[in-house]
Amino acid sequence: MPWFASDWNLRISQRTNSAPCRPCLPSHCAVWAIAFLTACLAGWSALPAEAAPPTFTVGWSVYAGWNPYFYMAKSGILKRWADKYGVVIKVQRFDYAASLDAFVGKNIDACTMTNMEALDMPAAAGVDSTVVIVGDYSNGNDQVLARNNLTLAQLPGKPILLVQKTVSEYLLERAMVLNGLDGQLSKLKLLNTSDSDIVGAYLGDKSNQVAVTWKPLVSEILGQDHGVKSLFDSSRIPEEILDLLVVRTDVLKRPDGSGLKFAKAIAGAWYETVAQLAAANAQAIRESAAASGDSVASYKEQLRTTYLYSTPQAAAQFADSGDLKQKMDLVRQFCFRHGLLGQNVQSVDDVAILYPDGAIQGRKDRVRLRVDATYMQLAAQGKL
Amino acid sequence: MAPPFRVADLTGIQVRPARLWTHSLSWILFVMGIALYVHFSIVRHRENPEDRVIPSATQLVQGLKASVLEPAEEDDPLDPGASLFQQVRHSMIWKDTASSARRFFIALLLLVPAMLIGLHMAVFPYAGAFFLRFVLFFDKIVALSLLPILFIVFGIDEWSKIMLMVIGVAPTLMLDAYNIAGGVPREQVVKAFTLKSTNLDVAYRIVLKQVLPQLINSVRLNLKPLALFLFAGEMIASTDGLAYRIAIMRRHMGMDIIIPYLLWVALLLFSLDALLRFTNRRLHPWYQPR
Repeated sequence: MPWFASDWNLRISQRTNSAPCRPCLPSHCAVWAIAFLTACLAGWSALPAEAAPPTFTVGWSVYAGWNPYFYMAKSGILKRWADKYGVVIKVQRFDYAASLDAFVGKNIDACTMTNMEALDMPAAAGVDSTVVIVGDYSNGNDQVLARNNLTLAQLPGKPILLVQKTVSEYLLERAMVLNGLDGQLSKLKLLNTSDSDIVGAYLGDKSNQVAVTWKPLVSEILGQDHGVKSLFDSSRIPEEILDLLVVRTDVLKRPDGSGLKFAKAIAGAWYETVAQLAAANAQAIRESAAASGDSVASYKEQLRTTYLYSTPQAAAQFADSGDLKQKMDLVRQFCFRHGLLGQNVQSVDDVAILYPDGAIQGRKDRVRLRVDATYMQLAAQGKL
Repeated sequence: MAPPFRVADLTGIQVRPARLWTHSLSWILFVMGIALYVHFSIVRHRENPEDRVIPSATQLVQGLKASVLEPAEEDDPLDPGASLFQQVRHSMIWKDTASSARRFFIALLLLVPAMLIGLHMAVFPYAGAFFLRFVLFFDKIVALSLLPILFIVFGIDEWSKIMLMVIGVAPTLMLDAYNIAGGVPREQVVKAFTLKSTNLDVAYRIVLKQVLPQLINSVRLNLKPLALFLFAGEMIASTDGLAYRIAIMRRHMGMDIIIPYLLWVALLLFSLDALLRFTNRRLHPWYQPR
């Protein structure tokens, strides 16, 4: 028997070795899913056309601006629009990080995400992605909280609880920069804290003076400890933290045109849903709140700090404007500075963004993220 | 001279495989694993040359270089003239390994008294009466769910993570020590007393001495849960550590860093396990399981 192969020793090393497989599991699934889908597609093409309409899956996660997807599916609005375009659209709820993994792994066709993650997850991983709906921007949902009347200038040196490499860190950096504290950025002591435990960790230990997080966690903290004040929030950087619906470009460009139909159907359904929310339709709000297990009061409070583009006109206008380019530039520079675009990306221009007017931010041959206002415009013109 | 290999031997019990066979068979699954990885990596890269989910060899080498030779993002960059030793000394993986290892070994140290308590539970009836029921109950508590309380009691820094590991693993070790020590034949204890042993002599020189190799094996088996709790703690709240880096890299699919890190952790655990096994064999050559 060789020295390494005594029975239980092998058992231990196998267990140890099973760890590396976990993160890549979704991708294995992805490969199988692709194989399966290919097989299905091959099967479909052999069948009569009306047999199986193309199916699309949209992943969403809990957030004030995305909860309406739950209502949209449950109320039948989505089904009506999908039927109109002859496609089947499934809506699936994920944890945020898992939804991004699934999207990058090509397990789902479309996914809700912020502009920052659209850039640093799919786009930076070479999965060409297209923004079809600009849903809302965080207008106070994300906040920098502190005890003891601290000011931003006093933050360096104090441990700051936040989920690193997310919009929380972006918000904190913007807060410092906008207050002329750029020089202090490197002195910030960030403590990466999972969103599931940040409330307990912050409230439980008074020596943790600063936290950066989002609603409803912000409301929980502010509600339970009146000594905590908000130092800065995302309403001071409007239109920078955008919440989007992103579709894989290869899905959108399917040769049979089903991707376009899918985009039209979901845009139509979305603006019908948002119009109901804007009109304070009680059922729409109740169901959207229920999507995340929030009370109606709490959900309404979250909506107050979420700027929903309630009309396709408003969304399309913003997508077409120079503002978007300027805001996206801030975000992409942030991503690059923090290495979020990947170890081997040498320049911020290597993950380029294409805008509706044809302008490209970055290298022309490396467009990875596209903003497509077509569907918002069609909705605005009532042509869906 | 060993008899020649016959196909029927593969299912036989009374066979003694040649050295060449045991060696080559034991590597087959490794080779298959690597082959599968390479296959999927190639497939995915053919479709998308920038794929980050299953990094290619070049991406992995780059990730490895970045983690071994470059300082962590939150640290100051090294001046370009630094020697190789300096580079490694200030690298991301070194820093993370050092802080994780510190937590790990402090927890491991705190587990020694836990095992001694287990021994006492088995040897001294009053100690058993005092601890056993509580430890049995406490063993079934899912330590991770206590984390918010740990944060409040021990703060969010080092101690909450160390205590998570201790609380997670200690009851298991105590019970294991209790069972192992309880297995020492009663006759030996009686005999020792007839030879004028004191109570402590029996506990430490008769029982502990002969269960020690089993206790060390018990620790070996618990290295993995220990690492698991360490990872859980570091992923939930920390500023450095191996799992901290993995959590951060996950945010943007930095699998090119994560995979080298996972292999490194596996290697560390394997080495620690091997070290314990080796020590055990040197200290207790009379102990021959199987």
